[in-house]
Amino acid sequence: MNFGKTQQGETLSLGMRNLYILPTRFGLLWLAGIALLQVVAIQLESNGPLLLSFLMLGLFLLTLHLTHFNLQGLEVRCGQPAAGFAGDTLAYPLRLRCRGRCEGLRLRLGPGEPDQARSLAAGDHLLTLPWNPAERGRMRPGKLRLLTTAPLGLFVCWSRWDPPMPQLVIPAPRSGPVGRAQAPELKQQGARSGSRGSSGGDLWHDLQPHRPEDGAGRLVWKLLAQGRGAHAKRFLAPMAEAPLLTPAEGIPLERALEHLCAAILRLHGEGARYGLQLGSTSIPPGHGHDHRDRCLETLALAPRTL
Amino acid sequence: MIHQPPSNAGGPSRRREPAETQPSSPQARRLQWLAEALLIVGLVGLQPALLLSWVAIGLTVLAGLKLLEAKRLEERRLVGLLQLVSAGVLGAFQADLGPSLLQGLAVFLALAGLLALEAGQGPDWRLLLRRSLQVVAAALPVALALFLLMPRLAPFTPISDLGRGVARIGLNEGLAPGSIASLAANQEPAARVSFEGGEPPAAADRYWRVLVHDRFDGTTWHTSPTQRRNGDGSGAAPAGTPSPQAQQLWVAEASGLEAVPWDGAARPLGRELRINGRGELLHGGRSSQRRLYGLDTSPATGTGWRRIGPRPLDLFLPPGTNPQLEALGRSWREAGPAEARLAVAERWFRAGPFRYTRTPGTLPSRAPLDAFLFERQEGFCGHYASAFAALMRAAGLPARVVSGYQGGTWVQPLSGPGYLDLRQDNAHAWTEVWIDSRGWQRVDPTTWIAASRGGGVRATPTGGPLGWLERQWWALDLAWGRWWLGFDREGQEALLQRLLGERRNLVGAVVLAAVGASLGGSVTVLGWLRNRPEGDAPRRELERALAALARDGLVPEAGETLADFSARLGRSEPALAALLEAMAEPYQQWRYGPGPRPAEEARRLGARLHRQRGALERELRRQPPRRPTT
Repeated sequence: MNFGKTQQGETLSLGMRNLYILPTRFGLLWLAGIALLQVVAIQLESNGPLLLSFLMLGLFLLTLHLTHFNLQGLEVRCGQPAAGFAGDTLAYPLRLRCRGRCEGLRLRLGPGEPDQARSLAAGDHLLTLPWNPAERGRMRPGKLRLLTTAPLGLFVCWSRWDPPMPQLVIPAPRSGPVGRAQAPELKQQGARSGSRGSSGGDLWHDLQPHRPEDGAGRLVWKLLAQGRGAHAKRFLAPMAEAPLLTPAEGIPLERALEHLCAAILRLHGEGARYGLQLGSTSIPPGHGHDHRDRCLETLALAPRTL
Repeated sequence: MIHQPPSNAGGPSRRREPAETQPSSPQARRLQWLAEALLIVGLVGLQPALLLSWVAIGLTVLAGLKLLEAKRLEERRLVGLLQLVSAGVLGAFQADLGPSLLQGLAVFLALAGLLALEAGQGPDWRLLLRRSLQVVAAALPVALALFLLMPRLAPFTPISDLGRGVARIGLNEGLAPGSIASLAANQEPAARVSFEGGEPPAAADRYWRVLVHDRFDGTTWHTSPTQRRNGDGSGAAPAGTPSPQAQQLWVAEASGLEAVPWDGAARPLGRELRINGRGELLHGGRSSQRRLYGLDTSPATGTGWRRIGPRPLDLFLPPGTNPQLEALGRSWREAGPAEARLAVAERWFRAGPFRYTRTPGTLPSRAPLDAFLFERQEGFCGHYASAFAALMRAAGLPARVVSGYQGGTWVQPLSGPGYLDLRQDNAHAWTEVWIDSRGWQRVDPTTWIAASRGGGVRATPTGGPLGWLERQWWALDLAWGRWWLGFDREGQEALLQRLLGERRNLVGAVVLAAVGASLGGSVTVLGWLRNRPEGDAPRRELERALAALARDGLVPEAGETLADFSARLGRSEPALAALLEAMAEPYQQWRYGPGPRPAEEARRLGARLHRQRGALERELRRQPPRRPTT
C-alpha cells in the first residue's frame, strides 16, 4: 500500500493519527474461506467447520488490532548518514525505538518493493536502508515507507515519512584526465630552479600509443613485455610535488568532477599531497583522511556551473 | 535496551547491504509441511464413496502441491488458508475425538506457519510457538462466543446421504442364515451407550433392536419398504421440554443403515429421530458416519409400536418352500390360543437335539429351514430366529425376525460414567410374535438351546492391556461425543432458552455484546503482554523506573548508556539522578559482575530495586510536572 499523507519532521512517532490500515488481498480471501466453511457447516450440520470458521473470524477481528499494535508507538529518527558515491547503493541509517515488540516490519526508501520482514524487540535499534541517489550533492533519500502485515497477513498497516536528514553524495569516481594547476609556492619554486625532468616521475595519469619522439624514458616496459603493444606514459605537465587538481578543459563539468574524484582517491591511496582548485574554491595541498573528505565534499557540493 | 550503534569511522561507505536479505523464515516451511502431513493422515479415515470426501482430498492435495512449488510470500499464505479450509472440511466428516485432535493440531500448525511467514527472520522456535499460542488463545473466546450463541441456520437443502449403501460390516437388510457357513469373530465396534440418571437394564434384558425383517421368501428374511405411519407419533421432543431425568446416550458407528440400535421402549430425543410402525428407530443423519442420539428412558413412552397390529405380510409364508416346517407349524394350530402354541413350540425346541454353533456350514437353497430343523439341527441365532418365526407363521401367529445386538460389555473407565460397549460380535437375531392381548412379544429361541451363544453376554471385558486402553479411549470418545456432537441446533436452542428465556429477541444484542467483550478482553491482554517489560526482576524494575522518567519526558538519547544518562540527568535533576544512580549501580554490578547470578540474589535485588523505584516515583510526583519532550 502506498498512499496517504507523508509525514514530515525530525521524528516520526507512529500512532492513531498517522497509521493507515486495510485488509490485504489475502485477508479478503480469508473471508471467502470463512464463508465456504460456514456453508459446509450449515449444510452438513457439523460443529467442526463451524467452530473453525468462527475461529478464523475471531482471528480476523483480532489481527486488525495486532497488526496495528506492531507499528503503534514506534519512533523513527534519522541516524548520521556517511557520505557515499553517486551510482552506488548507499546505506541510510535510521534509529528506531520500539515501545513493545514490533513484528514483521518492512521498510523501503523510495519506490519499489519493501525489504524482508524483520521482527524487533522492544528497545532501540539502528537499521540501515539501501537507496540509490540520482545525483551528487546533499541528497534526501525520498519517502520512507514502513509497513507490516504480521501476524497473519490479513491486514496491512503502513505509514509514510520524509526523512529530513540529507546524505552527502560524492560524484562517482571515474578515471580520466584532470587538469593541474601548480600550487602558487611551487610555481615560484619552478621559476627559480627550472622545470623538473618529467620522464622519471611516478605521477603519470594516462597512457597513449608510443611515438618515436616520446623516447624510451616514457615507454611502458611492462605492457611491452606482456605483448600488449608500445604505450607511452602521459604525465601531468608540468610535474609538481603537490598538484592542485582542477577540472580538465573541454570536458563537461560533471564528468570532469568524476575524474577529479578518481584522481583524489588515487592520490590519497598513494599517500601523496594534493590540493583542489574548483572555480573560486581552492583547497591548498595537504593529505590525510580529513583532507580527502574535505576535497570530496567540495566536489559533491560544487555549483552546477563554475 | 540501549544498543550501541556500530561506529562509522573510515571513509565514505561504498555499499551497505540491508541487515536481512535471506528468504523468509525456514520455520514457516517446516510448520506448513507438518500441518500437511497431519491432514494427509486425517484423509486415511475418509469414505471414498462419499462425493464430499473428494473435496477434502482435493483441497489437501492442492495445498501440498502449492507448498511444493510456492516461492513467493503470497503463495505460501495461500497454502496456509487451503490447509485451514481442508481441516475444516475434514472436520465435517470425522468428528470423533481422535480425528478432531488431529484436525485441531493441523489448524494450529497451519496458523503457526502463517505467523512464521509474516514474522520473517527474527523469532526462534520458542518465541514463535509462544506467540502462536497467544494469538490462537486470544481468538478462541470470540470463536466460542459465536459458536455457542450465534443462532444456527437450518441446512439449505435436506441432507442427502451420498454415502448410503456403503458396504459395512454388521447388520444387513436381508437375513439368510442358510447362506452363512460360519460366523467370523468380529470385534469391530458397533455402538456404545451410557446411562444417565438410570441403571443399565439387567443383563437378560439387553436386547438392542435395529432392523425388523418381516418379509419372508422361503430362504431370506427381508425388511419390507419403510412404513410411512409413525409408531406412536413420538418424534422429537417439543422445544422447551424439560430435559429428561434419565436418558441413554448412544453413539452408533457408521452402518450404512438408517435404523440405529435402541431398547424398543424409550422416547427418542431430537428432531432427526423417528420410530416407524414396526419399531425401528430411524435416524435422519448420515448413515455413513458415526451418529449420536439420546433416548429418554424415564417413562417408557416409546412403546406405541408394539400395539400396531400385524399386516397380512406378517403371516405370509411362501407355500411349499419348507414343507416339513409348514406341516409341523400347522400341527401346533390345534394347541389353542397363541400363548399355548408358543409353549408347544418352546417344548419342541427344548426337547430336540439342537446345538448352538458359530460354524454350521451352509444350508441347501431348496427348503433350507427344513434342512436345519430336521437334519442338521445346529446353527446360530439367525437360524433359530428365522426357523422359529416361520414355524409361528405356519402355526397361524403373525411373526417376524428382529436383528440387532444383545448384551454388550460393561466398561467402567478410570473417570467418568460407565458405558456398555457393543461390538459386531454382539449382533443377534430374535423373533417377535403378535399376541392379541399383549401386542408384539419378543421371543428368543436361541436361549432355549442348551449350550447357548458362545459370544453372548461377556462377563468381563477381554482384549488384554491394549483392549483396556481402547476402552478407556472410547470412554473419552463417548464423553467428547456427548459434548461435541451433542451440541447441535437443539442443544443450542436449549442453551439460549436457559440463558434468555422469554427475551429471545435480544439474542442479536447478546451475541454482539459477547463478541465485543471477548475481543476487547483479548486485545487488552495481548496489548499488555506486548508492552510488558521482559527479563528478570531487577531488569523489570529498572525498565519501569526508566518508563516513569520517560513519562516526564526524561528519556535517554539513542545510544546513551545508563551511566551517561544519569550524568546528563544530574545536571538538571540532581535528586532524580541520585535515585537513578542508586538503582543503576547495584544493577550493573549484579548484571556485569563476575561469577554466577543465583536466582535468590536476583529476587533480593529485585525487591531492593522495587523499593528504590518507589522512592524515585514519589520524587517524580513531588516535583512540579515537566513538559514531556520528544
